[in-house]
Amino acid sequence: MNGTKGRIERFGPSCVNSATSYFPFVTSLASELSQIVGARHVLQRPTELLVYQSDALPGYHKRPRLAVFPGTRDEAIAVVRALHRAQAPYVPRGAGTGLSGGALADDVVLIGMQRMRRIIAVDPVRRAATVEPGVVNANLTKAATPFGLHYAPDPSSQSACTIGGNVAENAGGPHCLKYGVTLNHVLAATVVLPGGDVVQLERHSESETGYDLIGAYVGSEGCFGVTLDVTVKLTPNPEGICTMLADFTSVDDAARATSAIVAAGILPAALELLDHGTIEAVESSIYAAGYPRDAAAVLLIEVDGALAGLDDDVTAVQRLCRECGAREIRTATDATDRARLWQGRKKAFGAMGRVAPHLAVQDAVVPRTKLATILARNAEIAARHRITVCNVFHAGDGNLHPNVPYNGNDPDEAARVHAALREIMEMCIAEGGTITGEHGVGLDKLGFMETLFTGDTLDAMCRLRTAWDPERRANPGKVVPMHSCREWLAAPGAHT
Amino acid sequence: MTALPPAARSAALPLPGSDNCVHCGFCLQACPTYLALDDENDSPRGRIVIMKAIADGALSFDDTDAQLHLDRCLGCRACETACPSGVPYGQLLELTRERGAARRTLPVVARLILFVFSNAPLLAVSMWKARVFRATGIPSLLARIPGRLGFAMAMLASTRRSAAGRNRSYSPRSSVARGKVATLDGCVMEGLFAPVNRATERTLAANGYMLVKAESQRCCGALHAHAGDASTARELARANIAAFEASGAEFIAVNSAGCGAAMKEYGHLLAGDSAWSERARAFGAKVRDVSELLAAAGPAQGGTLDVKVAYDAPCHLLHGQRVSAPPLAVLAAIPGLELVPLTDNDQCCGSAGIYNLVEPEISDLVLASKLRNIAASGAPVIATGNPGCLMQIGAGLLRSNGVAQSRHPVELLDASYAQRI
Ligand SMILES: Cc1cc2nc3c(=O)[nH]c(=O)nc-3n(C[C@H](O)[C@H](O)[C@H](O)COP(=O)(O)OP(=O)(O)OC[C@H]3O[C@@H](n4cnc5c(N)ncnc54)[C@H](O)[C@@H]3O)c2cc1C
Ligand code: SF4
Ligand code: SF4
Repeated sequence: MNGTKGRIERFGPSCVNSATSYFPFVTSLASELSQIVGARHVLQRPTELLVYQSDALPGYHKRPRLAVFPGTRDEAIAVVRALHRAQAPYVPRGAGTGLSGGALADDVVLIGMQRMRRIIAVDPVRRAATVEPGVVNANLTKAATPFGLHYAPDPSSQSACTIGGNVAENAGGPHCLKYGVTLNHVLAATVVLPGGDVVQLERHSESETGYDLIGAYVGSEGCFGVTLDVTVKLTPNPEGICTMLADFTSVDDAARATSAIVAAGILPAALELLDHGTIEAVESSIYAAGYPRDAAAVLLIEVDGALAGLDDDVTAVQRLCRECGAREIRTATDATDRARLWQGRKKAFGAMGRVAPHLAVQDAVVPRTKLATILARNAEIAARHRITVCNVFHAGDGNLHPNVPYNGNDPDEAARVHAALREIMEMCIAEGGTITGEHGVGLDKLGFMETLFTGDTLDAMCRLRTAWDPERRANPGKVVPMHSCREWLAAPGAHT
Repeated sequence: MTALPPAARSAALPLPGSDNCVHCGFCLQACPTYLALDDENDSPRGRIVIMKAIADGALSFDDTDAQLHLDRCLGCRACETACPSGVPYGQLLELTRERGAARRTLPVVARLILFVFSNAPLLAVSMWKARVFRATGIPSLLARIPGRLGFAMAMLASTRRSAAGRNRSYSPRSSVARGKVATLDGCVMEGLFAPVNRATERTLAANGYMLVKAESQRCCGALHAHAGDASTARELARANIAAFEASGAEFIAVNSAGCGAAMKEYGHLLAGDSAWSERARAFGAKVRDVSELLAAAGPAQGGTLDVKVAYDAPCHLLHGQRVSAPPLAVLAAIPGLELVPLTDNDQCCGSAGIYNLVEPEISDLVLASKLRNIAASGAPVIATGNPGCLMQIGAGLLRSNGVAQSRHPVELLDASYAQRI
């Protein structure tokens, strides 16, 4: 970063040299922030900032200058306003479970939201809850359980990730196939904009008045503001649930079964595929779920809804799986058995840690009808680059997650992983897919944006961002590559 | 694209198992210090980052921030139970502390305690003094004064048992023979909870185990290993291996979860000692929590005890040894006993060995949420199988309401047997 100082008029000093202009004042900024949140909740020494250098994709390390942890809404607003006065760039962080390098940036002030974890209200009549952004996803469902309700979007990381992070990434999860992703469940949000204004985004009804700001905000990856509270829909627990585990001797058969089920007009609550490598990792972990170790792939299928009609769906799913070559179909016997089957799926990513010291993961969405072909091409690319790809993904909505366990200390192996994943993503794009289903662009997928979008589209995205964050201090360097922003480039003294 | 990790540093010391950590964050919500302090530096993931940086040579052992956050770890190992990747957190911490031990001095209290526990005659005298003091009734009187002194008094007072609890007897009537068992006396258990040790012996005998004595056994060394004093821990382990081998016991019964967890891991502790590693592994395989032996035998039903009990799982039993069902089986063998749920009963109470003495503020924060949950459960008796937890919860209860009590599950079973057998 080496913008020329002094010639900036349009955007203020931050736009050219945002990351460094506040450096001389970092100590006084730290003491100002300490006065807002208490000295214990401001970190500035390098050792204490180490863990905040990465999210759950620890290949990326970015060093924040300071970290500040507001405990209340008022503190969070005061923090953002202080950063505005200091013209300091910042990045919000929830639980740091992101898989795209989203909650990190060099030389910024990191705003950790984990202290704001109050459940403000649960309204069983309106079927809604209002929560602070640091509330952990699973804790929201826990709070709704006494009312027979739950929060439907259930990322596999739900025992750790925060609602604020979910909103920023528009998180999905196994049950989003039927119930929709985060965006479909957010009714309102209060946000403090980078300039310090506090805005209330709301969605009143289907017939919207004005622009849909919730639509723009959900999935904005921390670039539009800091979420202060969120009101979400709660979903009634279904009357009946049936969870099945179908096992296949070829991945191709499992992929065909997936298409067959959806083509038959059945909408399962969840439809997940785990291949052999993933099954091995899960079964070696403490979350061993009893998946057959000799299967080439398993489908974890859940159907739910009113008791009437549930059995028909179950029978149809079982028949379609058998027709596509399923060897065996196991049905969960009770709630404990169901939880065990799900734990294996939800902890699969973590369980890969035992396979090799490093792990790369991608997140592509492909047309479901092409699943079988794409998986075969995946395997072919992996073999050519001599790497292992373990697949575990939301098959029902074609959201692939190729996981590659590898040894990053071997530069040759690391380079092969790099090349293979790039090839896989390009192939997915060529087949009509896209580069992220739920993990967000962050840093990790920046390089694909220009393959996926035209210059005009990227420029439109830049302008949208500028409307929320004219000084570009919110989570700098994410989502849209800087050099694709025309307005930005036109600014005097701009850098890319 | 996925960035490549930084190249391994040449001066790196190995930290086996640390590479398993994929930074997923699943352990955060399991960690009592993260929940109490809200900083990832006080979470398992943060501490692993720090330990890796030390092992890599990127951070010095003397780094005060690193020390601060590692010292604040309770060592409860709840993070291991939550971790899908099998990161051996407890081992990473002990290895890091062992490497750092040479370069730093522990707080005076900690050094004093460790010294006393490694010195048998001194320990005996200290425990005797504590019992004499307890018998004066002064600790009960002072239990409610504010501050650490009051807390220490409450801990001591909570170990007191009524005459009825001290003098139970019944004759075992089991028809099956289940093998020879030697019990670990345990420093604190024999020193302050002798009635629980007698209850352990009686209930084991009542379930068909034949008790043999392991003479000249020592402290298990757990506190030393946790604090990084691995050489004393190894010395104590070797003494115990010899003592229990000589007893001819098939099983080694332990009623202190912290000691049991450490003894099951003697194999790991002495892995580098070729003369002892095999014997240590064989020893570890014989160690059982007392509840495991009782559960394997049924256990036999006793007489009715009309009491409401909540069970709190000791970390070193649940997370350290992964023993969860057997203590419940022990309680289930008591007719009339109503087991009520206790929210977050898998979370640490803040005792954690000598942690409550060296990190009192955080320990208090962790204990406070335990006491809130206990109050909400409505149970007058809390069952938990570890001396540290018995004292921590016992003291907390004494100071807060003076009503509820903490008891070892075998004490309750013993009382039930005394009704009937
Ligand atoms: C094992 C594992 C499984 C996963 N499974 C899924 C899955 O099934 N589906 C899925 O969608 N994702 C999944 N993820 C990814 C991740 O959990 C989600 O992206 C999650 O939404 C991130 O939440 P977080 O609180 O950890 O946010 P972080 O990682 O801390 O941050 C993510 C982004 O949100 C922003 N942000 C956080 N809080 C705020 C706030 N209050 N205001 C504004 N911006 C904010 C950050 O700046 C960053 O850009 C998984 C991750 C792991 C490790
Ligand atoms: S759960 Fe395990 S792998 Fe995940 S961050 Fe914690 S220690 Fe690392
Ligand atoms: S041992 Fe307990 S306190 Fe220490 S990091 Fe693990 S969960 Fe946290």
